[in-house]
Amino acid sequence: MIPFLARRTAALVAAVLLASFVVFLIPYVTPGDPVRKIIRSRVAGDVIDDSAVQALSLQLGLNDPLWAQYLRWLGRLSSGDMGLSYTSRTPVAEQVLPALWITLSLVVLALAIAATISVALGVTAALQEGRPADKVITAVTQAFIALPEYWLAPMLVLVFALQLSLLPSAGWEGPHSAVLPVAVLALRPTSYFTSAVREGVLEALSAEHVVAARSRGLSHLQTVWKHVIPNGLLPLTTLVAVWFAGLLGGSVIVEVIFSIPGMGRLLFDGVLNSDIPLAQGAVVVVVGLAVLLTTAADLVHGLLNPQIRMSHA
Amino acid sequence: MRFSLSSSLSLGLVALLSLSGCGFSGPTAGNKQAADTNQRIVVDNFRAPVANWALESDAAYILSLSGCLETLTRYDESQGKIVPLLATEWKQSSPLEWDFTIREGVKFQDGSELTAEAVAGSLQSVLGAAVPARAFNPKVVSGVKALDDRTVRVTTPTESPLVPYRLASVNTGVLSPAAFKGGTVDPFGHCTGPFKPVSEKPKQSLTLDRNEAYWGGDVKLAGAEVRFITDGATRTAQIQTGEADISLSIPVSGLPALEGDGNVKVLKADSPRTATLYMNNGRAPFDDVDFRKAVSSALDLEALAASVYEGAAIAANGPFAPSEPWAIEGAEAPKQDVEGARKLLASAGYTASRPLEIIAIVERAEFADVATVIQENLKAVGVPVKIQTKEYAAVEPDLLSGNYDMVLSQRNRLIDIADPIGFLTADYTCDGTYNLSHFCNADYDKTIAQAATTADSEERYRLYAKAGQILQDQAVNVWLVNEQAIDAVRADVQNHVQDPLSRYVVRAETAKPGS
Repeated sequence: MIPFLARRTAALVAAVLLASFVVFLIPYVTPGDPVRKIIRSRVAGDVIDDSAVQALSLQLGLNDPLWAQYLRWLGRLSSGDMGLSYTSRTPVAEQVLPALWITLSLVVLALAIAATISVALGVTAALQEGRPADKVITAVTQAFIALPEYWLAPMLVLVFALQLSLLPSAGWEGPHSAVLPVAVLALRPTSYFTSAVREGVLEALSAEHVVAARSRGLSHLQTVWKHVIPNGLLPLTTLVAVWFAGLLGGSVIVEVIFSIPGMGRLLFDGVLNSDIPLAQGAVVVVVGLAVLLTTAADLVHGLLNPQIRMSHA
Repeated sequence: MRFSLSSSLSLGLVALLSLSGCGFSGPTAGNKQAADTNQRIVVDNFRAPVANWALESDAAYILSLSGCLETLTRYDESQGKIVPLLATEWKQSSPLEWDFTIREGVKFQDGSELTAEAVAGSLQSVLGAAVPARAFNPKVVSGVKALDDRTVRVTTPTESPLVPYRLASVNTGVLSPAAFKGGTVDPFGHCTGPFKPVSEKPKQSLTLDRNEAYWGGDVKLAGAEVRFITDGATRTAQIQTGEADISLSIPVSGLPALEGDGNVKVLKADSPRTATLYMNNGRAPFDDVDFRKAVSSALDLEALAASVYEGAAIAANGPFAPSEPWAIEGAEAPKQDVEGARKLLASAGYTASRPLEIIAIVERAEFADVATVIQENLKAVGVPVKIQTKEYAAVEPDLLSGNYDMVLSQRNRLIDIADPIGFLTADYTCDGTYNLSHFCNADYDKTIAQAATTADSEERYRLYAKAGQILQDQAVNVWLVNEQAIDAVRADVQNHVQDPLSRYVVRAETAKPGS
């Protein structure tokens, strides 16, 4: 267990460093002058005075060599300081933490709903394999996989905000604001999870120990409840962790459409405006959490499945 | 120019909203009902605050449109001139000095008095910014000081009649001295306007309450919430659902839905923006005026306005919108003349030795379609064109250095101040800092130099029109369409006056009847 955790800690540090360095380089490897992009994020317009470019470069230390800028950022980060946003001129941490809380709320809710629905659907489909219920569930979930968020979100706004006036079309004002974005975020994971649960349960149903349990006289229901479902849900733990990590930074489309000031939106704005400290701060948090979550999922998976634990030892 | 993921995401939503438009017509709320002073309104704005509310940034627009920030002077669109606001009068006391008399009896929202010293301190903070405002920076203003309790003196490095215009820029809004303590700007409770900001949800909204002690008289609304909704489709949806009372900058694609909705009024006004096909006058074949005229003659601007812009823009008749006081008198949008274009091409000795390139900036989604229309029009007269779509930041160095053929762009003529001098100087004089056309003409430069020192606004506007005529005669660019500023307002909002530049939205007289 300790070597496993040590490897994962090293991976965490390496991933955060690598991701933050890549983000740091983005403004320099994409076309255009990053300083002009920063100015344009503060003041709309095309004509930018060269003296303003010089003054801002000096003020932000952007004339220094890249390695020096990066090391300066690392040094500050080691003391918990993510720096000031170039665009808003407010501390990055003050922006990242509220945004993280919002996105976490969305993602936790979406995945909890997705997991609950998918367990019910996946188990039903597996137990009804080849029958109409299985075919309907499989067809519907496969269709939902293909539904893009940028189509589904406006559709839900049209029905629930415009036609029925039941929910707000955008904003982050309270629980009712979360309903539509959570629904959009939950749809695709529900489809993937259902498929995974179905496969897991089918595999468990044919396992030797399940067959043995049945031969010992255990009822079908007891066998399914005690032996099939626990094993059938194993793949779900990893899938949930992977989706969790992905949605933390990948909810940008939903956050833009619903005007939600979450992490995806923050990352998007940071990269767009060459706001390096903001983008780096957001990436460090997202990548750090992603590695932590996948590590936790592996640990849980290992605890539930001794074969995996052995292989890591 | 702004890249907007939202603009691409908007398409789906707007298309759906368009379909829904006819289903939402309903009784229009009476606009003559008595105003209810307990009412609040919601405004969907397209900008979010930046730079921690620094006045030299675009955050000043939000403070101004919210009814918080006020300036010494104000540009009155209806009169086409500068009118008093926090200053009651002004005069040019010497060639380089302007004296402004500060209005008496005005208090900041924190209770402190508006004095000349407070005004000078506020203006000095803008002047000293690392990235100063275009309207008010050390190149155009050399100093600000209080002469006495009620007089502020503004000094310029060269003689300029435009100082009162500069002091109408939202970036020169006045905050109380308490707003500048601690090295950052704090507008909360430190403005002079009819509405007092009381709370902010970062990246979401600004909430304002009525300023009970407003110097300008009764304020009819109890308060307002200004939301920062950068996605145009969401602003369109929120005005339809009634979640917003005023939505600014509605995308063209949202018009069908709103125009079919009886609860919503759609307001359109000429904006100071003209979509333009810039031609590199410094490079062949564009260095021949006949060739440039041929390009102009080949294009069907009416069809362009009707198709790509869906009627929300009008064919341009030159570098200015027809409603602007400096518009070229009697100018008409050029009609497509294919035969005339072919003759001009022959006269220019043009041979299609290489395909010419049009750069369509990706930040303006419609420019790809505009480029396609132009490509077809030019192909019809024997000019092959290929289209490149690129980010503005990527092409800017090439544009400024003259390494391109044609580019589609759109500039706000009044982005600095309510006068086009900055635009006409930067974009078309020989030494212009944004002379994408690489045009240089001694007569033009002389006219602009004369205008820059002409105090009489009517005479100055005449000189602008003359300069515009030179640009037109030389076919420097093809001015394609004048864009419209489109806002949407719920039918029950009273006394709302559209400002094409979105500087003044929530005003003391804005009202709403009881529900």
